[in-house]
Amino acid sequence: MLGLFGSLNMASRSLQTQMTGVEVAGQNLANINTTGYSRQRVQIATSTDLSTGLGQQGTGATAVAIQQVVSSLLNNQIQGQQSVSSYWSAQQSTLQSAQTDLNEFLDGTGSTDSTSASSDSTSSSGLSGQLSGLFSAFSSLATSPTSLTARQAVVNQAQNLASTFNQISSQLTQMQSSLNASVGTDVSSANEQLSNIAGLNQQITFAEFGGGNANDLLDEREQALENLSQLTDITTSTETSGAVDVSIGGQTLVSGGQVLDTLQTYDAGSGNLLVQTASGTNLTLAGGSIQGTIDARDGTLATLQNNVSTLASNLITQVNTVHGGGYSLTGSTGADFFSGTDAATITVNAALVNNPSLVQASGDATATGDNSVALSLAQLDDTTQSGLNDESFSDYYSQSVAELGNALSTANTQVTDQTSVSTMLATQRSSISGVSVDEEMTNLMGFQRAYEASAQLVTTINTLMGDTLAMKAS
Amino acid sequence: MRVATNSYSDAMLNQFSVLANRLNSLQTQSATGLSVQAPSDNPSAMQDTLNYLSDKAEQTQYSSNISTLQTRATSVGNVLSSLQTLTSRAQEIVTSATSGTAAQSNLDSYASEVQQLTQEAVQLMNTKDASTGQYLFGGTNSTVPPYVATTDTNGNITGVTYQGDASVNQTAIASGVTVTVDVPGANTSTSGTRGLITDATSGADLFNHLISLANDLTAGDTSAISGTDSANLQNDSDNVLYQVSSNGAVQTHLESAATFASSQSTSLDTQISNTAGANLSDTLVQLSQAQTAYQAALESSAKIMGLSILNYLS
Repeated sequence: MLGLFGSLNMASRSLQTQMTGVEVAGQNLANINTTGYSRQRVQIATSTDLSTGLGQQGTGATAVAIQQVVSSLLNNQIQGQQSVSSYWSAQQSTLQSAQTDLNEFLDGTGSTDSTSASSDSTSSSGLSGQLSGLFSAFSSLATSPTSLTARQAVVNQAQNLASTFNQISSQLTQMQSSLNASVGTDVSSANEQLSNIAGLNQQITFAEFGGGNANDLLDEREQALENLSQLTDITTSTETSGAVDVSIGGQTLVSGGQVLDTLQTYDAGSGNLLVQTASGTNLTLAGGSIQGTIDARDGTLATLQNNVSTLASNLITQVNTVHGGGYSLTGSTGADFFSGTDAATITVNAALVNNPSLVQASGDATATGDNSVALSLAQLDDTTQSGLNDESFSDYYSQSVAELGNALSTANTQVTDQTSVSTMLATQRSSISGVSVDEEMTNLMGFQRAYEASAQLVTTINTLMGDTLAMKAS
Repeated sequence: MRVATNSYSDAMLNQFSVLANRLNSLQTQSATGLSVQAPSDNPSAMQDTLNYLSDKAEQTQYSSNISTLQTRATSVGNVLSSLQTLTSRAQEIVTSATSGTAAQSNLDSYASEVQQLTQEAVQLMNTKDASTGQYLFGGTNSTVPPYVATTDTNGNITGVTYQGDASVNQTAIASGVTVTVDVPGANTSTSGTRGLITDATSGADLFNHLISLANDLTAGDTSAISGTDSANLQNDSDNVLYQVSSNGAVQTHLESAATFASSQSTSLDTQISNTAGANLSDTLVQLSQAQTAYQAALESSAKIMGLSILNYLS
C-alpha cells in the first residue's frame, strides 16, 4: 500500500521520467543535422518494488540511463573505409592535376557530321601535336632547303615544342613540391587529431567513472577517429575504462589519455617527404590521404616526369647529332639545334633563333641547296630510338600518356567503387543511429500523453487528499 | 530498415551528383563528337588516337610535300619541252644546212639562229622555282645561276660554264619513300641522276655542241655539220627525250603518291573516328534517358521532401 503520499511521489517521478523522454526527443530533434551525432534513447525501468501484504507492489517508473544507439562494428568498418576512400581520392586528385598539366586532350569541336564524329577536326592539344609539328617543319624544309620561310617555321615549331617541354616540366616539379607540402600539412593535422583523441579519452574516462554514458563525447571522439582515418589507416582497441588506444603502422601513438608518440615527415634523400614517428621509426602506411599522395607522387607522377625528361633528352641528342653534321646557308657547321639536356632546360639554340639561315639543312659543304640533313631530321620521326625502349618519339610519348591515363582511370574507378561502399555504410549507420523526425515526433507525443496522464494522477490524488481533509471538517 | 530523416536528403544529393555527372559527360560527348577527351577516359583509345593523329600529321605533310614537288615537276617539265623544241630546231637547221647547196649567207643566218638558240637554252637552264626562288637545274648548289655564258666582242657565246653540281635532293613523299624531281644541268660521271645538258652516259653536251655547230656553220664546214654535229645533236635530243620521259614518270609517281596520301589520311580519319568518336545517335538517346532520370529524381524528391508528420499534427 503506497498511500496517498506514496502515490503522489510515484506521480511526481513519472512526471520527471516522461519529461526526460521529452527532453531526449528534443535533444535528438535539435541535433538532426549535427555531423557525427548518434540518436539517444532514454531507458525507462520500473522503480523499486515494495513488499506488501499483497505481494510486490510497483512504485511507478524511473529513467535509468540515456543511451546512444550505435553499432561499434559499423563504426570500425567506416573508419577502415575512410582510409581506403581517401587513399584513392588523394591519388585521383593528384593524377587529375598531372593530366591537366600534361594538357594532352582531344578536341573535336567543329564536327558537323550528323551520324558520327567527323575526325577531320579532331586534334590534340599537347606535346604530341607539337612533336608532329616539328617533324613536319623539318620535312617542309627538306622540300625547300634554302627557303627562309621554311627555316623560320622550323625554328618557331622547335621553340613551341621546347617551351611546352619547359612548361610541363616546371608544372610537374611544382606539383611535386606542393604534394610534399600537403604531406606535411596532413601529418600535422594527424598529430592534432591524436592529441584531440587523447584529450577526449581523458574526459570520457572521467565522465564514465561513476557509471553512465558520455554520449556526446563518444560522438566527438568517433568523429576525431574518422578524421584521422582519412589521413592514415589506424588500428584501435578499446580499454575497459572506455578509452581508445590508437596505433599507426604498428606503433601505438595514443594510449588512454596520453599521446605516446607523434608523426613527422622526413626526407629519405630524394627530396620527397615520407612519414616516420617522432621517435624515429619509419612508417609504411597502408591507406589514407597521406599514403595516397605519397604513392601518386613517387609512382605515376615520378614515371611521367621521368618519361617526359627522357623524351626531351633523347630528342635533343638525336636532333643535335644529325644537325651538327650539316651546313647552314652561310656554310657554317657543327652548331647544336637544341641547347639544354632535359625537359626543364631544353631551348632552341639562340643563334638559330636570331638567324634561321644558320639552320644546318645541307649535307654538302659546297652546296647550300642540299637537303640531306633536313631529310634525315624529318625521318627521325619514324625512327625507333634505343633510348626510348625502341619506340619512336611520338609512340613513346603516347605510351606515357596512356600510362598516366591508366593510372587515373584506375583511381577514378576505385573512387567510384569506394564511394558507393561508403554510401552504403553511411546509409546503414544512419538507419541505426540517424535521427528520424517522424519517429521523434511520435515519441514526443507518447511522452506528452504519459505526462498528461501522470499530471491527471496528481490532480486525482489532490482531490482524494481534499476529500480526506473534508472528512475531518464535516 | 529504419530510415532516418536525413537519409533522404543525403541519398538525393548522391543521386543528383551521379546523374548530373552523367548528363555533363553525355552533353560534352555530343557537343564535341568525341567519346574520349582526356587520357583517363579510355587510355588505350587515347594512345591509339595520338598515334593516328601523329601519322595523320605525317600524311598531311607528305601531301604538302607532294604538291610542292608537283609544281616543281611541272616547271621542270615546261623547261624540258622548250628544250625539246629547241633541239629539234637545231636538228632542222642541220638538215637544211646540209641539204643541197646552201649559200654561205644562208649558213651565216643559220649560225646566228643557233647563237639565239644557245642564248635561249642558257636562259631556260637558269630558270628558278617560282615558289622557293631556287634554281631548278643547278643540282644541290641551287642558290647561284647554274650556267654562265662567256661571249666574244660580237656578243656571240663562246663557252658556257656550269656552276652547279651533279647531286639532287631527295624528298619524302611517303613513309620510307623518297623521290627527286630535280635534274642537274651536268653530270660528268656515269652514275647518279643523268645531266640535262651535259651527261657522260648519253654523251650529251648541248651547249658545246650548239657552239661548235654555230662555228661550223660560220666556217661553212658542211661535212662536219652533217657528220659530228648531226650525231652530237642526236645525242642531245635523245638525252632531252630521256629526261622528258623520266619527268613524266615522276609526275605519274607523284600523282599516285598524292592519291595514296589522301586515302591514307581518309582511312586514318575513319580510324580516329572509330576509336575516339562518339556515336551521336547513341549518345543523344542516352542523353535523353539521363535527362528523364534526372527529372524523375527531382520530381520524386520534391514529393518525398514535402512529406512529414508535422503536416498532420496540430
